[in-house]
Amino acid sequence: MYDVIIIGGGPAGVAAGVYAGRKKLKTLLITENFGGQSAVSADIENWIGVKKMTGLELAKMLEAHIRSQKDVEVKMPEKVNKVIRARNSFKVATSKDTYQARTLIIVSGSSRKELDVPGEKKFKGKGMAYCSTCDAPVFKDKIVAVIGSGNSAFEAIIDLISYAKKIYLLSRSGLRADPLIQEKVKKSSKVTIVYNAEIKEIVGDKFVSGLKYLDKKTNKIRKLAVEGVFVEIGTMPNSEIFRNLVKINTAGEIVVDRKTMATSCLGVFAAGDVTDEIYKQNNISAGDGVIAILSAYNYLLKNKKL
Amino acid sequence: MANKVVIYTTPECAYCKMAKEFFRQNNISYEEKDVSVDDKAREEMVEKSGQLGAPVVDIDGRIIVGFDKEALSELLGVK
Repeated sequence: MYDVIIIGGGPAGVAAGVYAGRKKLKTLLITENFGGQSAVSADIENWIGVKKMTGLELAKMLEAHIRSQKDVEVKMPEKVNKVIRARNSFKVATSKDTYQARTLIIVSGSSRKELDVPGEKKFKGKGMAYCSTCDAPVFKDKIVAVIGSGNSAFEAIIDLISYAKKIYLLSRSGLRADPLIQEKVKKSSKVTIVYNAEIKEIVGDKFVSGLKYLDKKTNKIRKLAVEGVFVEIGTMPNSEIFRNLVKINTAGEIVVDRKTMATSCLGVFAAGDVTDEIYKQNNISAGDGVIAILSAYNYLLKNKKL
Repeated sequence: MANKVVIYTTPECAYCKMAKEFFRQNNISYEEKDVSVDDKAREEMVEKSGQLGAPVVDIDGRIIVGFDKEALSELLGVK
């Protein structure tokens, strides 16, 4: 029996783990990887105390810090499939084993949102792309589409401009990206912006050969021949497996008490991007992770479980 | 006998860097092909893996897409 199981290895999870180690709590941290969503970022320039580093460097710093805690056991890579409430404890079932703890810290973060249209799953990796920094060079001299309206969509275009032959930006409800990055992108003759476009289907044979979208202004379905589709339509909290355990809002975020990071379930705390925290930021996730573990510690003390 | 390891990469891809670091940590020699500059390698990567994402690792003809530490460990006999 652990005092606490931490589910997730991003900034919130590692911050909680380090503080758990210092409180000498018997701790288990389960994660698929370290660094959270930022692990694949090319540059991070706002992690306080470090002027500039790559996402990979942040991930390594976090991993080294958590692995230096004597009382914290780490299971990585391991995926949590199910959490069950037992008497005065919680059972956490993973792809490999089942573990039990008196308290839980949910720091499972969020993942990229998918289009959820026919063809998307079939062509994953076969033209459907979700990491422009990684895969832009593979689309050299090809015609591609970027789906989205925010900064990440425009950043994807910037990654693609040096490689792709032609880039269509398909926006459903108007551009939301910062003016500076919009100007930069609109200067390129390679880029065409299509407004009022709602994606309906991804088509192809072995690989993607095109997409169909609804032109919301004319209410007509249009086809676009593209070999790559980069999806940049935001993120979704990884909260699905906790649905029966804690209160979740309509956006899929775990609802927490701002002072303690307590969820609706006694003994379960949450922090970071999986919660209804307004600002999804690495530094804030770390701070919220600390609040969560200190609250868990106080909960254990108060219930005479330490 | 040493395995023949080829990794297809792009310059900014974090999982490519993780895979290369995994090879270095385990003293596995590998050949790197950067598909952003090598057109032939890019075609090779797509053909071998049947998909359009980096990294792709070829270990004696066995193809692994992405940085799959467990699959790499198993094929390379790393504990």
